[in-house]
Amino acid sequence: MDSISFNVSKEIEVENLNEEYDIVILGGGPAGLTSAIYSARAKMKTLVIEKEIIGGEAASTDLIENYPGFPEGISGMELAERMEEQAVRFGAHIVYANIDSLDLKSQPKIIKIDSKTIKAKSIIITSGTSPKALNIPGEKEFKGKGVSYCATCDGPIFSGKDIAIIGCGNSGLQEGLFILKFVKSLTMVEFLPTIQAEKILQERMDTHENVKWLLNHQITAINGKDWVSSITVKNRENNEEKDIPVQGVFIYVGLIPNTAYLGEQIKLNKWGYILTDEKMATSLPGVFAAGDIRETQIRQVATAIGDGAVAASSAQQYIENM
Amino acid sequence: MAHISDKDKDYLRKEFGKMKDNVKLVYFTQKFECQYCEMTHEILGELAELSDRISLEVYDLVNDKEITEKYNIDKIPAVVVEGEKDYGIRYFGIPAGYEFSSLIEDIMDVSNKSTSLSAETKKALASLEKPLHIQVFVTPTCPYCPKAVRMAHQMAIESDKVRGDMIEATEFPHLSNHYNVGAVPKIVINDVVDFEGALPEPVYLEKVLEAEGRELSSRT
Repeated sequence: MDSISFNVSKEIEVENLNEEYDIVILGGGPAGLTSAIYSARAKMKTLVIEKEIIGGEAASTDLIENYPGFPEGISGMELAERMEEQAVRFGAHIVYANIDSLDLKSQPKIIKIDSKTIKAKSIIITSGTSPKALNIPGEKEFKGKGVSYCATCDGPIFSGKDIAIIGCGNSGLQEGLFILKFVKSLTMVEFLPTIQAEKILQERMDTHENVKWLLNHQITAINGKDWVSSITVKNRENNEEKDIPVQGVFIYVGLIPNTAYLGEQIKLNKWGYILTDEKMATSLPGVFAAGDIRETQIRQVATAIGDGAVAASSAQQYIENM
Repeated sequence: MAHISDKDKDYLRKEFGKMKDNVKLVYFTQKFECQYCEMTHEILGELAELSDRISLEVYDLVNDKEITEKYNIDKIPAVVVEGEKDYGIRYFGIPAGYEFSSLIEDIMDVSNKSTSLSAETKKALASLEKPLHIQVFVTPTCPYCPKAVRMAHQMAIESDKVRGDMIEATEFPHLSNHYNVGAVPKIVINDVVDFEGALPEPVYLEKVLEAEGRELSSRT
């Protein structure tokens, strides 16, 4: 990243929000911000509610190289900030708040945040995903004490240390390349016999001599006293177990959809992702979903953007036909 | 070479045009043995050039003992963002990467004597009885960290009882080790409450009040 990176907050305070919006977007990642751009340009009164930081999962990605238009790649946060600026420029409101309650079935839809009640004609759900936990012994115990899910956040703390990354998908390798700037050695652990990440990322990893690969290995425990000191892995071919001394473990084994706050109002698939049709419509009238949170083949910034545009257009049509 | 690009300077000039009162950046350094002191100094210098309302004062940690004691500075690089008074806003380590945003927003808040904290939070902060020292450990590449830093600094603006420190974890490894920092943002309040993550305002406030409660009960 550049030595200076800034994005002066463009949020609106909860007290200053309108009481009614045409479209309320739940989540300020790439899908939500794209919906906001399209919806605001259609002169819909638009609000984005974000609970944490703009950009969602993409914001903590050091470098995004497969989103078209940025041949040298762009940091996830910078891309998100640009989208935010674009959405605000066209009149969208952005607020940082937790949703206290949500009624998707009523018309208008009712959203409560802090002490404010907001009415919306249509809602687009774009609250994305969170990193999936391994659920193995030691994982919870050592979270923040050697176990991390965010290499861009915590990588610099592990300077000069031996660390392991669990999961050899795109996220695991992309963040591995970032973390190699700091660490002494990196052990990549993958449950499957082959690396799942893009070939270009594998080639880049291969240029580093301090990277070891443990394919077809399952991590079974994270060990230590006050801090992580090793991981236990099992060779899935011969079931042999061994301990590998590391002081840090970064976990990239997949995602879970952030749908818990929706309750049982909307139809999900068995993994908790929202079911939509090609118009991004969900099981409820006037409620749309876009991006990583819906059942889809791949979860990339590029696909979230497309979803976001479609969802905004569908929400607009829904409102016009009301 | 300038650290702030021409495009960003144009933006900041416009932003600083909205400042109501003067802001003083009080910077602590020393001549040798500080990896990021020079760069921090340069960044602050560039900022001060962008507005007549921003001034920069530079002190030496060792030689200007009286001033370092006045501001309670024990490590460098250190920056105090001061308005009509010292609100208790501190940066220990370089305010670069994502933390540059925190610095800009702090300057604006101190100048305008206002924060975006909710009425409930302001009310709760006004009732604090004991001094609270909030230390926020960060890395410059952590996108979640500015939110936690800003919360501490806004609370410092709203309450004379609160001091909020940003601490760049990799520049002060002894402190990071002492507080077992393995994930950022890590927030430590009066050494009695600690938590990780960019928590929403009401939950952050709960932690602050919890720290005060523990302090109060341990002293009674």
